[in-house]
Amino acid sequence: MATTVVIDPVTRIEGHIKITITVDTVGGVQQIVDAWASGTLFRGFERILLNRHPWDAPHLCERICGVCPVSQSTASVLALESTNKVALTPDAVLLRNLIGAANFVDSHILSFYHLSLPDYLNGPAMAPWSPAWTSDKRPDATMTDALVQNYIAALDFRRMAQELAATFGGKMPHPPAIVPGGMTTTIRAERVAKFRELLKQVRGFVADKYISDVSRLAEIYPDYYQIGRGHGHLLAFGAFGTGTDGLSTPVLKRGYLQSGQAVTGVNTRAIAEQITYSWYDAGADGALDNRKPHDGDTVALYPKTGAYSWLKAPRYVGRPCEVGPLARQTINGSYTRGISVMDRHVARAQEALQLADLMTSWIDQLTVGGNVFTEKAMVDAAGEGLTEAPRGALGHWLHVKASRIGQYQVITPTCWNASPRDVAGIRGPIEEALVGTPILDAAQPVEALRVLHSFDPCTACAVHVMRPGDATALSVLHTP
Amino acid sequence: MGISRRSFLKFCITCSAALGLGPMDILNMQVALAKTGGPKVIWLQGSGCSGCSISFLNRISDTVPTTAANVLQDSIDLIYHPTLMAAAGSQAASIIRDAIAAGGYVLLVEGGVPTAFGGAACWPWSIDGKEVTFQEAVIQAAANAAKVVCVGACASFGGVSAAGENPTGVTSVAKAIGKPTVNIPGCPPHPDWIVWAIAQILAGNAIELDAQSRPTALYGTRVHDDCQRLPKYQSKTFASICGVDESCLNLLGCRGPNTGAPCPTMKWNNGANWCVDANANCVGCTESTFPGGDLHVTLF
Repeated sequence: MATTVVIDPVTRIEGHIKITITVDTVGGVQQIVDAWASGTLFRGFERILLNRHPWDAPHLCERICGVCPVSQSTASVLALESTNKVALTPDAVLLRNLIGAANFVDSHILSFYHLSLPDYLNGPAMAPWSPAWTSDKRPDATMTDALVQNYIAALDFRRMAQELAATFGGKMPHPPAIVPGGMTTTIRAERVAKFRELLKQVRGFVADKYISDVSRLAEIYPDYYQIGRGHGHLLAFGAFGTGTDGLSTPVLKRGYLQSGQAVTGVNTRAIAEQITYSWYDAGADGALDNRKPHDGDTVALYPKTGAYSWLKAPRYVGRPCEVGPLARQTINGSYTRGISVMDRHVARAQEALQLADLMTSWIDQLTVGGNVFTEKAMVDAAGEGLTEAPRGALGHWLHVKASRIGQYQVITPTCWNASPRDVAGIRGPIEEALVGTPILDAAQPVEALRVLHSFDPCTACAVHVMRPGDATALSVLHTP
Repeated sequence: MGISRRSFLKFCITCSAALGLGPMDILNMQVALAKTGGPKVIWLQGSGCSGCSISFLNRISDTVPTTAANVLQDSIDLIYHPTLMAAAGSQAASIIRDAIAAGGYVLLVEGGVPTAFGGAACWPWSIDGKEVTFQEAVIQAAANAAKVVCVGACASFGGVSAAGENPTGVTSVAKAIGKPTVNIPGCPPHPDWIVWAIAQILAGNAIELDAQSRPTALYGTRVHDDCQRLPKYQSKTFASICGVDESCLNLLGCRGPNTGAPCPTMKWNNGANWCVDANANCVGCTESTFPGGDLHVTLF
């Protein structure tokens, strides 16, 4: 007989999510037969940006997310720079990439060790690691001890990765040094030396511990290469551009991969947001549903019959897409094994090492005392800033009007991954990935947490409000 | 976060001068920390970005023991922290429900309190199948707390979460619970400030607060007064463009003259940098007015 289980709170994520699953026995295996992901935090973030000076955008946008502030800030300046086409200096591009990559590495380490690992082992017998669900914890005492030690060590290495970002970002989280036209931080010899020394240590941890710990986990949880696939559609906006626009020739490429097809380009006009199951007003006959981001015109509506999330359901060419390290690495052609819980962890670790290696190369390309800022007047125009956050594709859209922010809109990675069902009733990526997951003990469905944490959800960033054109009505694009 | 009693004391002793702790305070803290099971600490997250938790980890990870054996020693008992705790779902909800019922803990709140939609813009957990709003959660948790500490600008004053049109009706914790809190603002606050507040409370010290309910020991000095570029301000050597060292950032909108915080002397991220040394103007993130006004327009 089917049982409904509510997981609320889902812990070890950034933000607030509730998961509801139906568990039943199919073919002799107790498993999840249906799932609903609810974003339980709504911030309405974009409204605070309206009518402010455009330069305030990176400062405020990075406050969307304390885990990936560099990505938010970067998307924001890219959107602003797309309006006045300012050319960045090579050193500014390098600094941004160094800070961004450091934030990725810090976030990836946190995601695996601190947010995910407690789903697989019994931690120390003290808070905050105990009590915890004990179902299906396979590491033996020796392996548990080793992984817990690396969990503790990882706290230090993620802190050091934050220090890397702060060296040129000013501070972490919420670095103040990323501005339209480049950076504010100068390249001093002692900063370069310090960065290089710290990076060596961080890279060492990633290469020697992180990569092998993921492998060790995969060895005793090989079934998780078959669990949590989901729809199989992958999307990436790309990041770490090396051209003077900070965008072109990116290290991580832009692309869309429909399940079973070849990688294609991305047309952002093919993004639509659906709100059938979200707490937003769909208007008469659903006229406000399934709108393109730039045309959206919706308002919060709570309560609302049938709705179960503050998250909207973004779709690309009508399809729910997974975003994140696995999507990026697969679209880049550097990961081919498959799509699953464990593939997400392996791809994330692989990407951490890739970025640590790139930082090692970039730091040597900096010119001490090199120019990091290009002054160019802002213009009134619409702008688009596409990049990647550690957990997936991130887009900022804005319109500068009368030298102020007239419109602002953000679509964050977790909006894609944790989205609810769409107009057609199709589940969001995490919801779909949960279906079919075996559950040993419905009273402690740790398997569902493993699927969820493999996506590294972050819902504080899932909040959006946009103001269309010159209308006075505010529209909510994403939440929470 | 688990932290061994030994390493926490080591940190406090190391920083005692900077934190204003005398020998008696350290002694009192040893007594406080020696209580069985360690002092109970609850950390709640409301409408915010988790940046305060990340900042807290940045400091505490510097002193956390590097072996599991050390971790398992007596520690601060962080019984609830949504980002760090292993428990989830009904088990986590039971932990917080029982802890609130037992009372006597130090309550740390990160994030503001949304009041729009009857509080439905943020649900931190469900109890017996019913979603609890963050507004209800904070009121309940504060009622039985030994002390309520606001970590960051949003909990202290509303911060970025309450800025502009404040679409979810975010208020400070003090307003939500109707009584004063110890405010440790900043966006995020420096990890040492958070640890300082915990240390003072565990030591049983009275904390002298300013008009914004901030400890004067932390926020009593203006950024401007300790700024390494104060001589540049006095000689009117002002930067008019980004990316220039050795100039005062006043014309770029620096809020240092109106901001209480020890950033110039404490610096950030293990001494890696701080805003002004990165040629980025202070945005006044420790003030109740943050982030009001254009951040790049000179006000002071």
